[in-house]
Amino acid sequence: MLDRLSTVLGKMAAWLTLVMVFVTFVIVVMRYVFDAGLIWLQETVIWMHAFVFMVGAAYTLQKDEHVRVDIFYRKMSSRGRALVDLLGVLIFLLPLCVFLGWKAFDFVALSFRMHEASRESGGLPYPLIPLLKAILLVMPITVGLQGLAMALQSLRSLRGR
Amino acid sequence: MEWVAALLFLTVIVVLLAGFPVAFSLGGIALLFAWFGVLGGVFNEALLSGLPNRIFGIMTNETLVAVPLFVFMGITLERARIADELLETMSALFGSLRGGLGISVTLVGMLLAASTGIVGATVVTMGLLSLPTMLKRGYSPEVAAGTICASGTLGQIIPPSIILVMLGDVMTTAYQQAQLDMGIFSPKTVSVGDLFAGALVPGLLLVLLYVLYILGLAFFRPATMPAHHREQDERVSFIRVLRALVPPLLLILAVLGSILAGFATPTEAAGVGAMGALLMAAVRQQLDLERLQEIMRGTLRISSMVFLILIGASIFSLVFRGYGGDDGVRAVLEALPGGVVGAVVVVMLVMFLLGFVLDFIEITFVVVPIVGPVLLAMGLDPVWLGIMIAINLQTSFLTPPFGFALFYLRGVAPPSITTAQIYRGAMPFVAIQLLALLLLAAFPALVTWLPDRIYGG
Repeated sequence: MLDRLSTVLGKMAAWLTLVMVFVTFVIVVMRYVFDAGLIWLQETVIWMHAFVFMVGAAYTLQKDEHVRVDIFYRKMSSRGRALVDLLGVLIFLLPLCVFLGWKAFDFVALSFRMHEASRESGGLPYPLIPLLKAILLVMPITVGLQGLAMALQSLRSLRGR
Repeated sequence: MEWVAALLFLTVIVVLLAGFPVAFSLGGIALLFAWFGVLGGVFNEALLSGLPNRIFGIMTNETLVAVPLFVFMGITLERARIADELLETMSALFGSLRGGLGISVTLVGMLLAASTGIVGATVVTMGLLSLPTMLKRGYSPEVAAGTICASGTLGQIIPPSIILVMLGDVMTTAYQQAQLDMGIFSPKTVSVGDLFAGALVPGLLLVLLYVLYILGLAFFRPATMPAHHREQDERVSFIRVLRALVPPLLLILAVLGSILAGFATPTEAAGVGAMGALLMAAVRQQLDLERLQEIMRGTLRISSMVFLILIGASIFSLVFRGYGGDDGVRAVLEALPGGVVGAVVVVMLVMFLLGFVLDFIEITFVVVPIVGPVLLAMGLDPVWLGIMIAINLQTSFLTPPFGFALFYLRGVAPPSITTAQIYRGAMPFVAIQLLALLLLAAFPALVTWLPDRIYGG
């Protein structure tokens, strides 16, 4: 179930990489051909980029593509790996996600209260900036859930034998 | 409390060896250390409140938007079989020369291996791509393995590469901080473009040295790399050569050229480059929905991997600083005998050793922000320092018995090749790397000349 959530989110966010390429291309064309700088469009690219790596983090975790130092991990038995993953999630990943989520909550709430808009003139208007800042909350929640799934799976393979 | 910072650093290294993903280990360990510090009344809790803002800074860092775009470009070139075709045509073109295939592998590695920033991935790609052909054509396993490892890692430091984008961003911050520390309040800046320009001459120098070495081997030890006798059906038409060679070369030259000439920011150039790569893939009819999805998802995963390490590393350096670790490092480096030279030598040695355990990305985000400001405050040129770090790390990845590149090549090499053969093959290239490092140390102008010419010092 949790795996599905990460996968769906990740695959959706992946389309944004293509959109980023197109939009950057459009920005370049506008700037060099029509001499028009579009600040809001540039900000959009930055936000898509942030969305991609923050929302894609859980999917990347599910696919096991967050880099590991695998000199020893590679040679461990599947039990050993499961143990490393279980402990890693419990000691590092979950506390980190809980802490980040807690701190980010205040941060995002403040932005909503202040009706924050882009500091650049011609940038993105009010309701967008706090909404985008909310990505900061999405990452710890989704990664935390995926971490939970990972821990359960490790536990299963530890008990399996 | 500097000993706590040192303990934190050591703990990180030890824990990372267990194999849990780097990004979460870095952040998690640092957080635990901070938590114990707060409980014990030795760590300022207010420091941690700035964390969301720091992460927000990473999310909105304009320079680093170039990373996913370059990754997109690289993966597209790779998945659209453009690298394969390039290697095939070049080896068909030069294969009948003695050493020609080896040189082709070096050149293709230089052009196309830069897309991911992960040493393992590039060496694996190069290994799968060229090892079977080299062995089939009778190259000695040593020569084949050495050439592949060396050119696979070299691609990472030849612009446009995402390693240089990341290193450039870290150097920018370090340079500003160093100048503020020195009391200069209108600091000079260093950009990703500077680093690209600075990497060009040393990168080409390395390619030249590799090629000379391969030619030398071909001349003095012809048995290690027999010439390939071309059969009739393997002849390549001139048109095919043009079709395979010209578009990717043009694309890379255009991307690099527009950055160096100052026409475009790295982000813009990367966006246009990615677009160009997509068009090339489409023209070659190598692009369907499935492949496009592979490209997009691959980009997302690499990008997420890179930036979560950056987030983890920034939590780490926050806590490391909180315990006064940066002052400790400064005190140690300034107390070393030999002044700047001594400090550089020690830092390079430490990074070389860390390179056995950590990849480029981790060292760039974790170690460079700590030592960079101190070294730069001693008056070193930021571009020179960046390139020295890059080549030093590349050497580390190649050095037996712990070098990353060798491990990964071992993983994809057939069992008939022994590990000892891979080690022996890498040694001459390590020697070449060391020679290059010495040359750059003796003649810093090799690095700084081009950026100075382009950007006017």
